[in-house]
Amino acid sequence: MGSEWFERRAVISGIGQSAIGRQIDRSGFQLTLDAILAAVGDAGLTLDDIDGLAMFPGGGKANLPGYANGNLYEIQDALRITTTWRQGQVEGMSLPFYGPAQAVATGQARHVVIWRTVKEGSAARNAGGRPAYGSVNPSAEGPLAWLLPVGALSPVCQVAPWAARYLHDYGVTREQLAWIPVTQRAHAALNPDAVYRTPLTVEDYLASRMISTPMCLYDCDVPADGSTAIVVSAAEAAADLRAPVAIEAMAGVIDGRPSWDQWEDFSRVGHATAAAMWNRTGLAPADVDVAQLYDGFTIEAVWWLEAMGFCKAGEAGAFVEGGTRIALGGELPLNTWGGQLSGGRLHAAFGHTAEAVRQLRGEAGARQVVGAEVAAVTNVGGYEAGAALLTRWRR
Amino acid sequence: MTSPGAPVGIPPAVTEETAAFWAAAAEGRLLVERCTGCGAESFPPYGMCRACRGRAVEAVEIRDRGRVYSFTVNHQRWLPGLEVPYALVLVEFPDHPGVRVFGRLRGCPPDAAAIGMAVEVGFEPGPGGYAVPSFVAVPNVPATGDPAVAPARGAA
Ligand SMILES: [Zn+2]
Repeated sequence: MGSEWFERRAVISGIGQSAIGRQIDRSGFQLTLDAILAAVGDAGLTLDDIDGLAMFPGGGKANLPGYANGNLYEIQDALRITTTWRQGQVEGMSLPFYGPAQAVATGQARHVVIWRTVKEGSAARNAGGRPAYGSVNPSAEGPLAWLLPVGALSPVCQVAPWAARYLHDYGVTREQLAWIPVTQRAHAALNPDAVYRTPLTVEDYLASRMISTPMCLYDCDVPADGSTAIVVSAAEAAADLRAPVAIEAMAGVIDGRPSWDQWEDFSRVGHATAAAMWNRTGLAPADVDVAQLYDGFTIEAVWWLEAMGFCKAGEAGAFVEGGTRIALGGELPLNTWGGQLSGGRLHAAFGHTAEAVRQLRGEAGARQVVGAEVAAVTNVGGYEAGAALLTRWRR
Repeated sequence: MTSPGAPVGIPPAVTEETAAFWAAAAEGRLLVERCTGCGAESFPPYGMCRACRGRAVEAVEIRDRGRVYSFTVNHQRWLPGLEVPYALVLVEFPDHPGVRVFGRLRGCPPDAAAIGMAVEVGFEPGPGGYAVPSFVAVPNVPATGDPAVAPARGAA
């Protein structure tokens, strides 16, 4: 049965990234073209092979300055290609390759490019500081109507009460949480494309300023400029591809109230998603060689460690303490590119996916996890969660 | 926490479903929807009961004390002129399961916010001329440390 899961009929064939940094003085459109051309070449394809396009976010939807870049139709026009499948994402399965995998698995397209381009670093500089979420709109719509007007003006403020409740309920400490950004910074030192590469210590973390208690500066990802493009291809095209990576399983479940303030227990947002994903594979958490877990905030990586079953609920603090388990050479190297906390907020697991592909191909350079065969990738945008296992190509 | 002059922030987009809430807020009253069929209360207002999916709902006011399920103290100036720090609280009500409201906290220093503390319903002037939830700390009531409503645990 498992061999008939649709994701087994799709592969990730290419990844490409533009220059990445706090500020890159090129337009989002040009960064997008840079990433797409790199990804298509990385796949071993040419632009004429591409027949599907997707982007996040679709429709130009933006809640932050610099959040959305590269109109899908203009990109198609610039690339001068024909498409049989297109998609803009915000709602929908949150993994970047989910929709494209559906398209190629069902024959709607053969090679799809999806991209995510951020210019949030430049936008923050231009605004004189990190702007409020939703500040590009005159009023707060949908679930944000209950958050922004009272002063929960950023996802930091929106997730912070849940972090406080989690620390309270389980006795997890900030000294323990510090090991996630500290360890990921050490990984970033080995990634030439990471935004921050200088060493970070637990003392630095504890001395940093509070953004919204209990979350400090180093608990928040780094607004950045950069584009990531991913090519997803039909598995039957594998012979045409340079170095495909298999999609073993993936899922995205919303089993609570989809809202930052109404979800019953936000620390468990990813649990049903991870359970559904594990139901689609014979692999188990102990089989995972490297984990790229979404880290818009430190606490989100904490909750993913628990949801994915790498440790039990409430035990992630002890799991990460000291950093040895999650460092390169440990039992579960975590966010080996530095994650969004040090590598830059490339958003929506695009950076995480690119790193998982590098690791499984053995192309991760100084930060390569030796013999990596199974990678976990997760994403979460508040309550929109996705989890996947990617594996080295064997067919 | 009431600031002098016009409060800095982003106002709500008011819909047909939420107009009654914001109108009552201007009068200092907290409205939720109650199902005329099963009696369950729901928030935010959707015109549909979250317990039985019934479409017949009426607006009812919550006057009870609430308890702080959790909180944060925001220190970041997200908008020019925003006064910081301020405490934000997620408030639940022991006699109103199904209702959880995000709001400001006043009546105590921001750093005095605590899980389990008792608060009274209140509002304060918010952005765009809207009144926004602003719960008032109740002095001399010790924090219980327990949630008003036990956190619902999802599937393991
Ligand atoms: Zn009902």
